[in-house]
Amino acid sequence: MNSLMQPQIILLREGTDTSQGKGQLLSNINACIAIADTIRTTLGPRGMDKLIVDSRGKVTISNDGATILKLLDIVHPAGKVLVDIARSQDAEVGDGTTSVSLFAAELLKEIKSYIEEGVSPQVIIKGFRKASQLAINKVKELAVPIEKSNPDEFREILEKCASTALSSKLVHSQKDFFKKMVVDAVLSLDQEELNEKMIGIKKIPGGAMQDSLLVEGVAFKKTFSYAGFEQQPKSFKNPKILSLNVELELKAERDNAEVRVEKVKEYQAIVDAEWKIIYDKLEKIVATGAKIVLSRLPIGDLATQYFADRDIFCAGRVLNEDLSRVIKAVGGQVQSSVNDIKPEHLGSCEYFEERQIGGERFNIFQGCPNSKTCTLVLRGGAEQFIEEVERSLHDAIMVVRRAIKSKTIVAGGGATEMEVSRYLREYSRTIEGKQQLIIAAFAKALEVIPRQIADNAGFDATDILNKLRQKHATDGNQWFGVDINSESISNNYDNFVWEPALVKINILSASTEAANLILSVDETVRNPQSEKPDAAANARARGAMMAARGRGVTRR
Amino acid sequence: MSGNAVYATDEYGRPFIIIREQGKKTRLTGLDAMKSHILAAKTVANIVKSSLGPKGLDKILISPDGDITVTNDGATILDQMEVEHQIAKLLVQLSKSQDDEIGDGTTGVVAGALLEQAEALLDRGIHPIRIADGYERACNIAVQHLEKVSDVIEFDKDHTENLFKTAKTSLGSKIVSKCHDQFAKMAVDAVLSVADLERKDVDFELIKIDGKLGGSLVDSRLVYGVIIDKDMSHPQMPKEIKDAKIAILTCPFEPPKPKTKHKLDITSVEEYKKLQSYEMEKFEEMVKQVKDCGANLAICQWGFDDEANHLLYQNNLPACRWVGGPEIELIAIATNGRIVPRFEELSPEKLGHAGIVREISFGTTKDRMLVIEECANTRAVTIFVRGGNKMIIDEAKRSLNDAICAVRNLVRDNRIVYGGGAAEISCALEIQKHADEISSIEQYAMRSFASALESVPLALAENSGLSPIETLAEVQSRQVKENNPRLGVDCNLTGNNDMRDQFVYDPLISKRQQYLLATQLVKMILKIDDVIMSGEIDA
Repeated sequence: MNSLMQPQIILLREGTDTSQGKGQLLSNINACIAIADTIRTTLGPRGMDKLIVDSRGKVTISNDGATILKLLDIVHPAGKVLVDIARSQDAEVGDGTTSVSLFAAELLKEIKSYIEEGVSPQVIIKGFRKASQLAINKVKELAVPIEKSNPDEFREILEKCASTALSSKLVHSQKDFFKKMVVDAVLSLDQEELNEKMIGIKKIPGGAMQDSLLVEGVAFKKTFSYAGFEQQPKSFKNPKILSLNVELELKAERDNAEVRVEKVKEYQAIVDAEWKIIYDKLEKIVATGAKIVLSRLPIGDLATQYFADRDIFCAGRVLNEDLSRVIKAVGGQVQSSVNDIKPEHLGSCEYFEERQIGGERFNIFQGCPNSKTCTLVLRGGAEQFIEEVERSLHDAIMVVRRAIKSKTIVAGGGATEMEVSRYLREYSRTIEGKQQLIIAAFAKALEVIPRQIADNAGFDATDILNKLRQKHATDGNQWFGVDINSESISNNYDNFVWEPALVKINILSASTEAANLILSVDETVRNPQSEKPDAAANARARGAMMAARGRGVTRR
Repeated sequence: MSGNAVYATDEYGRPFIIIREQGKKTRLTGLDAMKSHILAAKTVANIVKSSLGPKGLDKILISPDGDITVTNDGATILDQMEVEHQIAKLLVQLSKSQDDEIGDGTTGVVAGALLEQAEALLDRGIHPIRIADGYERACNIAVQHLEKVSDVIEFDKDHTENLFKTAKTSLGSKIVSKCHDQFAKMAVDAVLSVADLERKDVDFELIKIDGKLGGSLVDSRLVYGVIIDKDMSHPQMPKEIKDAKIAILTCPFEPPKPKTKHKLDITSVEEYKKLQSYEMEKFEEMVKQVKDCGANLAICQWGFDDEANHLLYQNNLPACRWVGGPEIELIAIATNGRIVPRFEELSPEKLGHAGIVREISFGTTKDRMLVIEECANTRAVTIFVRGGNKMIIDEAKRSLNDAICAVRNLVRDNRIVYGGGAAEISCALEIQKHADEISSIEQYAMRSFASALESVPLALAENSGLSPIETLAEVQSRQVKENNPRLGVDCNLTGNNDMRDQFVYDPLISKRQQYLLATQLVKMILKIDDVIMSGEIDA
């Protein structure tokens, strides 16, 4: 009786959605699996692409896991974890983004039945941690160090890594062409820093992929030019280059200033003064002996013609990143004033030219003294096409960069995963308790990579996996993986399917972390959406109406 | 899979939302996606098919604003159609980028045919990427073969017959075929006058194509100089100036003004008078400066008021005002003059020279144009197109552009292959020969590639009113028997199939590009197995 009278306690706001316990955990796992299913088919050399149209009608065609996940616009809280690890993998090593999400989802899938049976998530998490640690150690043990002493061999290794990264992309039939380009590009960088931002990528629609080229130095598109530009010389040998951050235009020196002219005579004086300011600037620039003048800010028609008269080439409104790469390549510094420019502030290069590439004219600086930068000029039939080439090359560049930095490699094509899987399975039999199951599940989840590669290529995955298991069980066959060309298995190390070990290590640790994170969540509290988009729109409309009314006759 | 993007339910059957607004997204996966792409691409390709070849027909396109375009140019047709489908858009982009690059091309047809063939292969259950790989291999063979069958044609400044013939081929299918020779000659002369034969570079910015309504196509001509759509500022100024010395000015004919904001308070009558006399003085000074440096024509980027105009007239200095920036530049290049930013800097060296500057008027209209000819530097040229209506002029301009591009391609690389489907048939035969040597599934894809190439001569024959299959079979067998890769479809019904005798040339780079681009596009389309589309955002 008394209990009936007890007032109801409202703890959460009305409409709050709470779900908890095992059900919630399973639901999260399902969400992750659903997401991984979306990108599953992009893995491996026979992986397919996705065409994604966003709400603004922009089309992206991609094979890159991170890009696809980003564009899917996932709102499911657990699902977002997968997106995040894919992104962090992209940022950290640049390649393996599909693998990382796929593996994390597979871990969850393997463990799902244990959760249903009531194994505590904490036990699983502990098991996963242990397994991942063991797996990483195993990868490190397996990894083959790169021989750096022989530059030719070293280069070859890098090319192999690049071609493995490119094999699943649109450009795979041209990978021999692009791998050279990628390795050349990375090797031309400062070997200490390896800053990939110093590799400029320019996209010009038209032409075929094979028409892409690597410019050792800097290339950028012709900037907006004024009348008189065509009369400037378009090629130089050993020019001096001046980079400015100065506007070279006849204009008001101060925006808000006003001159009060007292007498008619003064009128001319003011005009002359203004002209003098700009001419002073131009004279100073010419006096430095620079033959090429670049500026981040506009170079007006007056200056363009002035330079044309003196056989100087100029380009205004050069993009910031282009200008900084020019500086890196040719030396010198960006000047924010034209006063006191000393010879050491100028850069130089062996050859400069304005050249027509496809439908665009490009400014190309070649033979730069401290060439720590290069430019990839990509060609292709359609815009989306070039964009995908760019993404693919980015992956390859990152892999090569990683290979130089981490100095060890492993075999790809599922070989490493199979070997680690075998090792873990054997290890799991030596321990007792639930951990045995968990580590075995981890081992099984690792097999998803070779299985998916085979599946995507249209092979019988079970068949291939059994062959692989058998090979890996015998000694000395640790590098056997899926062979796409013969629809069978082969020693992928001998076939030069190589990847930096770091990529694998990062996949293992990131996926385990993500899986653990999802497993450790047992309750989701979702606040009611404070403002639904519709409601917001309505509110705005209502607000506008009220404002309109407010503007009318004042009430009361 | 349902139409929804990702649809999953948890253990209790509650659906969960993974993707934002997933109800509004549509998704197409697997074979369905590919089939839909192929259908779209095929539809687009079929539209341009009938415009192929010298007997190809034109299309009328009406824009949303009611503007009418009549054209035969594949890229223009696709561009104006404003297709919606994503894959079709890719095709449009492809043909557009090829148009930008080489100015001509039937890429769409090849790509469409390739996809059509791929559909049959997909039905047989061949993995799309194997098909793509096969195409790629076939394309490599085709490109190598093209280089083998290519011929080098010789030309120099004095011997332009071969260039002329190439231009004629390019113009063959266009509306201007009425004055075929004339247009071809104009295109060749225009390119050669701006080409840098040593660097093999042709700067298109120096060729201007201008059009004016009225007259007929025959009245079109090439002007070694510049035409500007302006007239003399004063109607009584001379209409013709011989041995003109031109002052090219980018400052207005008025008292100079400071750029900084300024204010002049006039407090008394004297001040006002002073101002007036100052302005008068300035005008006179300016005119004097121009005259002193020896100029007998002033071309001004900006305007000048009637007072100045009158003064100029009185001082016998013809002038032209409101000439746009690019024209100013062209004039400067053509006349070897320098652009002068203010009057103080005028000097005799900076003047441009032209043999004759005259104002031409057309028919009974009051339209006048200024022609600057016999310039000091002949590198800037203008092609002036006349025509009965705007549509014809526009189409003539496009055709000329194609022809100019074709000639330019030869300047860049003087290897050619034979048109009229000859190159395609020859490549198809070569690919078929190689296909039999391949043991894997790619063999099928390569054969399909060969049949896809045959769609070009087929379409050509069909458009020319020949029986397509019969013609193709005949030419094919003759190519094999006579071992002559120059045999093609005889579109003009001359009774001779040898394209060398008919002078039907195509630049090698253009053909090569066509194959490469089409293959790449097809490959890209075949690789897509999943399409996720966001719904429209509700306003």
